[in-house]
Amino acid sequence: MELEPGGRIAVAPLAGITVVEHAEGVAASYAGRALAALGADVIKVEPPGDGSPLRRSEPLLTREPAASALFHYLNAGKRFVTCDVATEQGRALLGELMAHAALLIDDTPVSRRLALGLDPDSVAGRHPDLVFLSILPFGAVGAHAHYVAQELNVFHAGGEGYLMPNGLTLEMFPDRPPVKIYGHFAELMGGTSAVCAAIAALLVQGEVGGQFVDVSVQDANISVGCFAIQRLGDGVLENRHGRSFKYGGVLECSDGYVGVLTLEQRQWEGLVELIGSPEWALEAALRDPLERSRRGAEINAHLRAWAKSQHVDDVVAKGQALGVPLAKYNEPGDIFASAQSKARGLFSPLDLPGIGSVPMFTAPFQLDGEPVTLTRAAAEPGADNRAVWCEWLGHAPADLERWGLHAGA
Amino acid sequence: MPAPEKAARVNGARKPPLHGVRVADFTLHAAGPFCAHILSLLGAECIKIETAERPDIFRKPHPVYGRLGAATFDQVASNKLSVRLNLKQPRGVELAKRLVAVSDIVAESFRPGVMERLGLSYEALKAVRPDIVMVSVSASGQTGPERGYAGYAPLFGAAGGLGTLTGYGDGPPTEIRHVMDHSSGLTAAMATLAAYLRRKRTGAGQHVDVAAREVACGFIGDALLQFAATGVAPRRTGNDAPQTAPHNVYPCAGEDRWVSIVASTDGEWQALTKASGHSDWLEDLRFASAAARWTHRRELDQAISAWTRTRTREDVTRLLQAAGVPAFPSYTAADIAADPHLEARGTIRSMSGPDGESRKVVGPPWRFSRTPATLDRWTPKLGEHNEYVFCELLGLERAEVAELERAKVIY
Repeated sequence: MELEPGGRIAVAPLAGITVVEHAEGVAASYAGRALAALGADVIKVEPPGDGSPLRRSEPLLTREPAASALFHYLNAGKRFVTCDVATEQGRALLGELMAHAALLIDDTPVSRRLALGLDPDSVAGRHPDLVFLSILPFGAVGAHAHYVAQELNVFHAGGEGYLMPNGLTLEMFPDRPPVKIYGHFAELMGGTSAVCAAIAALLVQGEVGGQFVDVSVQDANISVGCFAIQRLGDGVLENRHGRSFKYGGVLECSDGYVGVLTLEQRQWEGLVELIGSPEWALEAALRDPLERSRRGAEINAHLRAWAKSQHVDDVVAKGQALGVPLAKYNEPGDIFASAQSKARGLFSPLDLPGIGSVPMFTAPFQLDGEPVTLTRAAAEPGADNRAVWCEWLGHAPADLERWGLHAGA
Repeated sequence: MPAPEKAARVNGARKPPLHGVRVADFTLHAAGPFCAHILSLLGAECIKIETAERPDIFRKPHPVYGRLGAATFDQVASNKLSVRLNLKQPRGVELAKRLVAVSDIVAESFRPGVMERLGLSYEALKAVRPDIVMVSVSASGQTGPERGYAGYAPLFGAAGGLGTLTGYGDGPPTEIRHVMDHSSGLTAAMATLAAYLRRKRTGAGQHVDVAAREVACGFIGDALLQFAATGVAPRRTGNDAPQTAPHNVYPCAGEDRWVSIVASTDGEWQALTKASGHSDWLEDLRFASAAARWTHRRELDQAISAWTRTRTREDVTRLLQAAGVPAFPSYTAADIAADPHLEARGTIRSMSGPDGESRKVVGPPWRFSRTPATLDRWTPKLGEHNEYVFCELLGLERAEVAELERAKVIY
């Protein structure tokens, strides 16, 4: 049990749990980040030298030296050690870490695992109580387990790729290829799903010991996209054109965009009031939601014409007061400026090496009414070598030199 | 009644990890129910609380995408038990509290303030079950000036910035569909599981507050950081990934058939040219370096499209994967349902209903070597498990249940 000074039980649920993250991909890195935000001590293991290639991934904050916004985001809250798992010495060091951890996160391709001693049998043999969380694009077993994939590929393997875009975007560009969701949506889903499984395995670790948990980013995305399979069973094969609401959606105002979606009658009535109860909207036939859908194009023409002269913030505030589900399409800058974000404490200032103090989005949950805080920015590869290898695991500083590992801070 | 998790020790048997954990599930619509669904797949006994007075809108036919159907309920409600309970009646609220008293986790997704008005706030539930873990899923969170805002998936994506950054460079923002609901539910499940592990280790309960728009923010964490550090935010860029080409979705043989292809290193680019029989691209100055390929990415897309257009998605994928180049078909739901890899993993499976009907369903998205997750119950009918819950768990007499039904408390 982890107690804070004064004897209070730590709010952070995973305080006192050690996680080893031997991972280079986005999904596994995000799993480690989420565990760190939940309070675990996450130790990221990288090859000596330049560390993970993810450190040089776009979007970049600075080009020379390369500082990746993506890497910083995915690795806040962790500690950083290096060891060369291509050598026996490096594998022995990784093994020592695993012996002191509750959980291993690994995304080594299946074909390389045996040579590194990171196949499930070897790990279970040496560390029977360790939870081994494997996170790969298509999982560790199955005909596609050896396939390589980036975000775009797993997004399409999970089914959501085929179904984007919809609504106004599709209406404007019906013949273009499907469009992806920004960033690394599919991989972050894989990481989140993996953490669910990892914590579940930790829950029974005392009773059953360790186990191998095989997470596939594709599976995670099929899971969150499950309505498409549901609808297939109902006899509807979803496509982009069928998966659009027929009225409402994205509206361009004079100073930005809002989204509106009225699924319930009272919400439609609120929308009619919001736009000033014009004659066309009061037509009795439009009280029927299916009739509204049939005449969606006509309704949208009216809504879009109305929106052009409106200010986004007014529309949202007045609409929400009338019970109309509406939201502003916020730009990143709007999110920092919003009173809601400030009240919720969504950001922690972190000191990024070479950049300075920058507010970092912490976590999409609060615990016992407290925002999550992050205190540790991603540091250089091996920054915690001395703290972990020497002070925690008892190696001599001279050993680090002998192994070609720098001593860190 | 003993705490359920104490009654069911897992002795190395192949029981799911949350075997013996009980969830009182007050959630409605999609985000909250998906959270409880994940807990149920992990083995929790999840009791969905509804009333005929106002059943989950996703259970009854409602107009979605211009057609009428309850098409979105079965998948996420499967594996759960169902009881009827009218929370507008004081005795309904009392029964809800009794159910919470024998539960480990409470999940709810009402508008913030509703649970308080019902007398079912976290504080009130702690009074009947001091170590309860409660998860509240909402649009904007339990606090802040916009806590009362109504929302659905595309609006969470909008407020959280994800929809703003999604779309073609010359087009408008794009609506994020139900994956926004479910990603919020999955995030809620993650934090709830962590809180439950904390309870197991410390004995202390916890209140987990998940705001769907903040889940959307989590997907643009790198963009938020970029803006904070540089003052410049990324724009909508379609399928482009900065400095990487090819990185797109390409047309294949057949109607509306596509394949995703990414070559982010020189090695992958060279492998792509070889696998596609286009060694001539290696001689083309427009494609001679990563920077050049990025500059000329639209011309590169055209060249690759000309190659993919006459081939099937599967052929392109096979050729490129054999060469180590990331490629995969743009899967439809029918492709997913028919994929042997997914069937072998149990990601897709068939389930049979009480009337003999069968359908493909999405199974648990994880493979545990010792404590497998489960999906073994068809969607419950409204109130199907009234007797088990009210009589067996709460110890009511059948006559009491009948009286409560007449009084529209169990309704």
